[in-house]
Amino acid sequence: MHDALTRAGRALRVVVLIALALLFLIPFYLLVRNGLATERDITAPDWRFFPHALQWSNLTEVFDDPSLPMGRALLNSTLIAVSTTVGTVVLASLAGYGLARIPYRHANVVFYAILGTLMVPAAVTFVPSFVLVSSLGWISTLRGLVIPTLFSAFACFIFRQYFLGFPKELEDAARVDGLGYWRTYWRIVVPNTRPVFAAVGTIVFIGAWNAFLWPLVIGQDQEAWTVQVALSTFTTAQNLNLHELFVAAAVSIAPLVVVFLLLQRYIVAGVERSGIDD
Amino acid sequence: MTGIDRRRLLAAGGGVAAAAALATACGSNTGRGGGGSGPGISQWYHQYGEPGVERAVKRYAAAYDKASVSVQWRPGDYDRQTAAALLTDAGPDVFEVNGPLLDQIQGGQVVDLTAEVEPVKDDFNQAVLAPKIWQGKIWGIPQVIDMQLLYYRKSLLKDAGVEPPQTLDELVDAAKKLTTKKAKGLFLGNDGGVGVLGGTPLFAAGLSLIGEDGKVGFDDPAAARTLGKIRQLYADKSLLLGAPTDWSDPAAFIQGLTAMQWSGLWALPQIKKALGDDFGVLPFPKDGAGGKPSVPVGAYGSAVSARSKRKAEAKAYAKWLWVDRTEYQQDFALSYGFHIPARISLAKKAKELREGAAADAVRFATDHGYAEPLLWTTADRTAYQDALSRIIKDGANPESELKTVVRKANAELERVKKK
Amino acid sequence: MTGVTGAAEGAVKDVPGARAAVVPGGFGRPSLGARLLGPQRRNLWFWAFVGPFAIGLGLFTYVPLVWSVYLSFFDAHNTVSPTGEEFVGLDNYASMLTDDAFLGSLGTFLLFTVFIVPATYALSLALALMVNRLRFAQAFFRSVFFLPTACSYVVAAVIWKLSIFNGVRFGLANTVLGWFGADQTAWLSTTDPPWYWLVIVTVRLWLQAGFYMILFLAGLQRISPQLYEAAAVDGARPGWQTFRHITFPQLRATSVAVVLLLVINAFQAFDEFYNLLSDARGYPPYARPPLVYLYYTALGRDQNLGLGSAGAVILALIIAVATVVQARWFGLGRKED
Repeated sequence: MHDALTRAGRALRVVVLIALALLFLIPFYLLVRNGLATERDITAPDWRFFPHALQWSNLTEVFDDPSLPMGRALLNSTLIAVSTTVGTVVLASLAGYGLARIPYRHANVVFYAILGTLMVPAAVTFVPSFVLVSSLGWISTLRGLVIPTLFSAFACFIFRQYFLGFPKELEDAARVDGLGYWRTYWRIVVPNTRPVFAAVGTIVFIGAWNAFLWPLVIGQDQEAWTVQVALSTFTTAQNLNLHELFVAAAVSIAPLVVVFLLLQRYIVAGVERSGIDD
Repeated sequence: MTGIDRRRLLAAGGGVAAAAALATACGSNTGRGGGGSGPGISQWYHQYGEPGVERAVKRYAAAYDKASVSVQWRPGDYDRQTAAALLTDAGPDVFEVNGPLLDQIQGGQVVDLTAEVEPVKDDFNQAVLAPKIWQGKIWGIPQVIDMQLLYYRKSLLKDAGVEPPQTLDELVDAAKKLTTKKAKGLFLGNDGGVGVLGGTPLFAAGLSLIGEDGKVGFDDPAAARTLGKIRQLYADKSLLLGAPTDWSDPAAFIQGLTAMQWSGLWALPQIKKALGDDFGVLPFPKDGAGGKPSVPVGAYGSAVSARSKRKAEAKAYAKWLWVDRTEYQQDFALSYGFHIPARISLAKKAKELREGAAADAVRFATDHGYAEPLLWTTADRTAYQDALSRIIKDGANPESELKTVVRKANAELERVKKK
Repeated sequence: MTGVTGAAEGAVKDVPGARAAVVPGGFGRPSLGARLLGPQRRNLWFWAFVGPFAIGLGLFTYVPLVWSVYLSFFDAHNTVSPTGEEFVGLDNYASMLTDDAFLGSLGTFLLFTVFIVPATYALSLALALMVNRLRFAQAFFRSVFFLPTACSYVVAAVIWKLSIFNGVRFGLANTVLGWFGADQTAWLSTTDPPWYWLVIVTVRLWLQAGFYMILFLAGLQRISPQLYEAAAVDGARPGWQTFRHITFPQLRATSVAVVLLLVINAFQAFDEFYNLLSDARGYPPYARPPLVYLYYTALGRDQNLGLGSAGAVILALIIAVATVVQARWFGLGRKED
């Protein structure tokens, strides 16, 4: 008697779910439809559910357009997303562990100071951050795009919560064996808390791939554009080319959708076990 | 005469091809730091919509032999990017700017270019040069004149039995008559004209933004009356709103989503290509007894950053490109989109501007052109646009809305005069 | 600092007092070896772990923050290093607090919150309840609803603005309306009725409902089946009664977390507003939340960095106070006693 619904109720639920799922898929459908259509198909007065002939050449057009270095942008986005993910996870997990497990008189002060930054909107510090980064000479460099974004209080918070719930007995046993904090962390804690690493890593990866404002301002040279920035060149161009815009948008989310579907269970497991919601 | 022109044009065309080949050959050069000889200068442009402009400006830069110039082509919110970059040492040496703005001049962010421009000062279109001058000094070199004007589809007007509107009242009527189920009468941008119109209706009513006397120029009942008529256009549902492209792009006009569109001169070649002779151009029609037709004109200025480490070289390069090399200036104005050269002597020579709709447009710019004055600050513009939006879209009372703007503009005048 | 973690950023919700207090006590009896390390070495280890992160956060968040506060006391047009004579004291704060546009933007935020928080809450809870006990295709439905989380605001705005809710005949919404004979609607430009809210709210709903659905699913998994069995024995009818008396109260902790996250994220709203409504000429005076207004004041052509910083400080204070008040109101921390 787990499912407290009648047969009719269950049928209705499935119908509603299918309707909602279709609604949720509409934007993806539009990406594909518009991306593989001709300009004329898109702007036709009468709606066409699918273009008369799929324009696969739109795909090559997007990669051949010299004003839109899509290949380079994909490479940049990958480099940035990967290094941001690795850096964030390492830094935040170390800090989270320190806060959770190493007794220190002012640990609370440090923790609140970290947590407090979550309440500061990006726009508050945006201009000085930019000035700071440029005075370091990091404009249009991978350093400038990645390093300032590595210190995620959110990730640190999640790690701390997770480590607090990690059975201490394991660590105590390790220390009886003479392992210090450092080796306990790497040999005992990390291997046993992989789900939270996967969860935070995926969330950070998605965030880094989708980040827009910071790459726009720091990645000034065309060689430093990310896919989001490259995409925005289309939306702001004087002559908007709808099919190219949509196919570029589709290309920009494709890698993420793949990563996402592959790692989804980690995110779900991580969220469920990390105490993000307790 | 035409023979000579043609030959020159062919020669220039050959040059383009050669330079293009060259550019492709070393296309991977990022420009930062630069290769080549001499000290490096970085130059910024905003992203022009017309194809070929980027290649052209890189070709000009490559032709400069006293320094290596790296051109940066900046898509996105250019004004914000330059504003942010000018706060740092990572900014450009030479850059084009929709200004410079008074606060940039007063804040010492751009350098004085009077000496560079002085010899040919009188050859510049005075309307667009005026906003580059503050306290007798010139802070930016006008590149090309941009102007906006009203395009209309001749056949659609004829079918509806509508004459090209000569007054604002006629425009309101025409737009209403031209509106059908599938198309609208007039396109003033997706915001109903709030962003693009600016002071244009005020000038059409015979007023101004900041008067010659340095005081607010629209503290007058006529202003409210005129803006009320723009509201009428909106209330009649004659305006196209929410098109995928905005007023600056002729797509909506070409696709037949609207019978009339307010757009830039740059759109003219595209429209001509798509519609042939089935279109005409008009200034913004006059309104009221003291009214006169009006078209906004303006010029991006080429400026030199005060934080540049190579100010002297940067100034020399800006002078070389935008004062000395008239053939590049002409190419830049006429070969890609469609602009009026900022130099009077060049505008006179341009045969592209002598016939048809283009000739009409040039005449409007000469007879009815107005430029936003330097004293009209960004804060003023924001306050005015907010008011305009409330008048047009919400039907707010124009008089009380304008009073707020006048108050703001007076406060801003106080502020900038203190410095 | 730049919204790295997207929708999930800003997940401050657990006032850590209760748990943090557990740490020293919980460490309890250190082994002999650990005791020999002494407090000094422990401090060293603490900073070895936390130091790199703390230094980075300090450099890239606190330094800019302090800099902003400093700027807010100056008439800083087009400069981030104003001179002493440009010191204006609290003038920037005074003019921000009397600025109709800024106050209006706070009103916009309030309205947005009133729309988006209950809407996302209800939708994600409903999705979770429907997906939770599904006997087939559960993974499929969960993926479909969760997938938009992978989408960027740039891409979503492109689809919403240019394809679904554009104001012309080939927009999807207008096409559907056209089948029923209705006129074209300019969704983003019409202020009466304010259709733009429909666009703004739906784009965020689509992007974030799936994420909160996962949170609710996690919460539902934790409810003990015995509770339902007991309720059935007591005669509670399945459906609404069970939901009201068992499921909903059991989800209280999750609900609190979701609402707090939603409110904080609403406060930080910027991306979809900016991508949907701004154009080359600026931003309309409606649907202008505080961050967008400040962005234009400080970073746009206006470059009034002093005034913008003052507004930003006011905003940060409001967010801090709102968060603390909410945390108190929901009685966070009590659940851990």
